[in-house]
Amino acid sequence: MKRVFLLVLLTLGLSASDLTLEIVKEVGNEPKIAVENGTTGVESRLDKKFFKLIIGDLTVTSHFNVDDKERRVNFDDAIDQIAYRDKEYLLRYKLFYDDRGRLGARVFLFDLAQNRRIFEKSYTVSDRQRYPFIAHKIVYDINKVLNFPDVSFLRSFVIFSKYTGAKRADIVVSDYTLTYQKTIVSGGLNLFPKWASKEQRAFYYTDMSGEKPTLYRVDLYQGTRKKIISSPGMLVCSDVSEDGKQLLLTMAPGMQPDIYLYDLPSGRLERVTYYRGIDVNGNFTEGGRKIVFVSDRLGYPTIFAKEVDSRAVERLVYHGRNNSSCTTSGNYVVYSSRETNNAFGRNTFNLYLISTTSDYIRRLTANGVNIFPRFAPDGETLLFIKEYANQTGLGVLRLRYNKSYIYPLYTGKIQSIDW
Amino acid sequence: MKRALFLTSVVTALLLFTGCSQKSVEVEPQEPTAGQPQAQEVTEGSDLKSISEMGEGLTEDQKMALMKRIEREAKKIYFDFDKYNIRPDQVPRVDYDAQLFNRPEAKPFRIKVEGNCDEWGSDEYNYALGLKRAKSVRDALVARGVEGERLTIISYGESNPVCTEHTQECWAKNRRVEFELIP
Repeated sequence: MKRVFLLVLLTLGLSASDLTLEIVKEVGNEPKIAVENGTTGVESRLDKKFFKLIIGDLTVTSHFNVDDKERRVNFDDAIDQIAYRDKEYLLRYKLFYDDRGRLGARVFLFDLAQNRRIFEKSYTVSDRQRYPFIAHKIVYDINKVLNFPDVSFLRSFVIFSKYTGAKRADIVVSDYTLTYQKTIVSGGLNLFPKWASKEQRAFYYTDMSGEKPTLYRVDLYQGTRKKIISSPGMLVCSDVSEDGKQLLLTMAPGMQPDIYLYDLPSGRLERVTYYRGIDVNGNFTEGGRKIVFVSDRLGYPTIFAKEVDSRAVERLVYHGRNNSSCTTSGNYVVYSSRETNNAFGRNTFNLYLISTTSDYIRRLTANGVNIFPRFAPDGETLLFIKEYANQTGLGVLRLRYNKSYIYPLYTGKIQSIDW
Repeated sequence: MKRALFLTSVVTALLLFTGCSQKSVEVEPQEPTAGQPQAQEVTEGSDLKSISEMGEGLTEDQKMALMKRIEREAKKIYFDFDKYNIRPDQVPRVDYDAQLFNRPEAKPFRIKVEGNCDEWGSDEYNYALGLKRAKSVRDALVARGVEGERLTIISYGESNPVCTEHTQECWAKNRRVEFELIP
């Protein structure tokens, strides 16, 4: 009996270390948390949205069992502990405008078992439009105070290109829920934004307004733009190396879409794939030793891998007949697979997770059109766009916890997204 | 003689400006009559180029109007779902476009061959698919005598739909190659 128990433990341990294995979490183990809202003097629309963001952020961490009932209180009143007998924590906050008209928040986290405040802090933003970042920072902080696994993804920016008309697309920076949005590049056709590094201070994008597609690097905090390279036909920055010094580009100097490695310090361009059909979407994997990409060399698009300096190409995915986009983090690859030739069915594109070092495949979504998978910098959280029943949503998948959350999206048609 | 030459030029130019460039009047050469001495070939005027062939003489507005007219006349090439080879039923349309781009009035212009896709599965692959479609049409035009140097290709992926409804018929219209003339 002991041996069986040990085996179960080992299996669970193995599961927890390999994200490609299905993880069935026990429900109800997370600490129960309630939220009280003591906001006064703030527009009711902002007040309501802020509460929803706090609830959403707490939920998406997967570290809490969140009671989403809104309780209005006076911020300085005593806590009604009897009302929270079945809860472990209480988060109370208050939104307000200070004397200078800046939006601020006061927050404390109360440990109901210990009957004491374990965290207290004030926040402020100069531009009220950036209020979602206060919510994300609050939840990030209380998660950290409780020593739960890191949820930096809450504070990461998302960058995306959205169509505004025929041959027109803008580049927008947002919070991870796409609630806050700031247009950075507008006018013309601006595509495929990609963060230049994990610090998210700069990004690359393709400007299609000239005769040749041109790749630019934009410094977000200096407001400057620098030309990197141009190519006839198409040009996409598909991935940036860990150190930010190398780019994987899809370009077509000879009218053939192939993958190239561009070394930024030296300006050297090296061709990585050689094939007469389509090779696109190169992504670094295994610490930059290998490149994962999409190719139609079998007559339909699927996922392959190769070393930069070797001609040998290795097929990574044996499942599906149309796997046309992929993203990587460490040894993990997530790809989208078209499940049917009927574009109007209810189950058309699903996401799958594989590892370059194991044979497991894990299906991550079950219905609708699930596209644009992108790993958060933590490598455990995945962002994607979901279209289902004529609605578009933003999906956040917590791979370690086997949980996904869908936010309604009202941004128009997204061309490309990076996290 | 000079006056006749001048008049001929003016008539040629007028024909061009009035949009009748497809029509041409050819004067059959006189058959030499037996017994008569060998006729001397008159070469004056044989090397005259119309202004469209020289690419000069048109105002910017006229040039723009001519380019738009050629673009409107060009036939779009349609593709099957997920494919970039030219379908047999599209070959006559490619033939037509090649003949159109080889006309004297079109020759001064370069041609941007634009590949487009439907909205299903938009990402890098879709842009590459659009590029391969543009390349297929570009190669077919070159095979039909259009100079390769005049042709550039570009992919607009799903960014330039002509139809925005969520139907099969609509998507079929978007899977196309079309042309833009460059001065």
